[in-house]
Amino acid sequence: MTPAPPPPARGAFLRIGPQQWRDFWKGTASIAPLMPGSVLFGLAFGALVDVVGLPAWLAPYASATVTAGASQIAIVEALRQDAPAVIAILTALVINARLALYSAALAPVFSAFPRRWQLGLAYLMTDQSAAVSVLRADQWPDPVRRRWFILGVSGPFVLVWILGTAAGVVLGPVIPDAWQIGFIVPLMFIAVMVPALTTWPAVAAAAISTAVVLILKDLPYGLNVLVGALAGIGLGALVPSRRQPRDVEPLEEAQ
Amino acid sequence: MITAFVVFTIAAIGTYLIRISGILLLGGDRELPPRVRKMLSLVAPAAMAAIIANALFLDQGQWRGFGAWHLAALVAALVALWKRSMGWTLLAGVVAFAALLLAGL
Repeated sequence: MTPAPPPPARGAFLRIGPQQWRDFWKGTASIAPLMPGSVLFGLAFGALVDVVGLPAWLAPYASATVTAGASQIAIVEALRQDAPAVIAILTALVINARLALYSAALAPVFSAFPRRWQLGLAYLMTDQSAAVSVLRADQWPDPVRRRWFILGVSGPFVLVWILGTAAGVVLGPVIPDAWQIGFIVPLMFIAVMVPALTTWPAVAAAAISTAVVLILKDLPYGLNVLVGALAGIGLGALVPSRRQPRDVEPLEEAQ
Repeated sequence: MITAFVVFTIAAIGTYLIRISGILLLGGDRELPPRVRKMLSLVAPAAMAAIIANALFLDQGQWRGFGAWHLAALVAALVALWKRSMGWTLLAGVVAFAALLLAGL
């Protein structure tokens, strides 16, 4: 992964110049502290797919296409409860609606990029890479260098996520049932959500969502999760916020 | 299995459309209305709380019997509030859960 400049002076590796590789590497270095969490999350998702009895290849496939762990886990949980496909998809898309916020925050950051770069970098967007990209963009005023920096932030992060997932399906069958690996699901989201509860509307949204999920526990197909999340969003928005929420919280969030 | 493949594929396409929405629609000086921005900022806490509640307190739609899951989650939540760090929270939760299972809870 080290973008070692190739031996012939000023030569380009893979037809990408040394300057681009350096900018790319700077991006990767700036997100590296968040990579272990991504690998761990990937391991957990891969193991979960195996435990639920879905075919192993689906786990890396999902991680490479959906590329948003929280929604992937929600889909697996919905499928396990024999939910209709429509409900599983809707639940995933509601959870991923947050990415629209990052997309809006990245619009000015990406505005000088060629369209194909915009489309490609959007595909690699995660909670973590969006946060790092928005925070660091001002330090990269040149749009060409900036796009290589953001590619370095986003690309390797998605790669370790996919590799973590693949490792998870391999390890899944080795993990004994007695370990109750399913506990990783609530634990992972506690680790991501609780530190991010910094505004009253966010606290209210989480509390309302929890209450609705439990009150509606007898709804079929995991519909209680979908309705609970929507209730939390809708009612939480009525709670006045004392300060303007930032575009992207610089916190580690789930992919 | 085919269902799972189709579900992941459609979710992937929909998620990609969400990912490009702001970049393609807002490019210039247009901005999100504050109300929409606020609702989108609540998606993460609301959705994650829903997944936590469903996985922690319920098991296949029934109440989960009180035990290691609840206690380890409580430990993790307290560490999360204290350290505000994902790594410490995961570590505390895993250690607490393993200890509780070993203790026979």
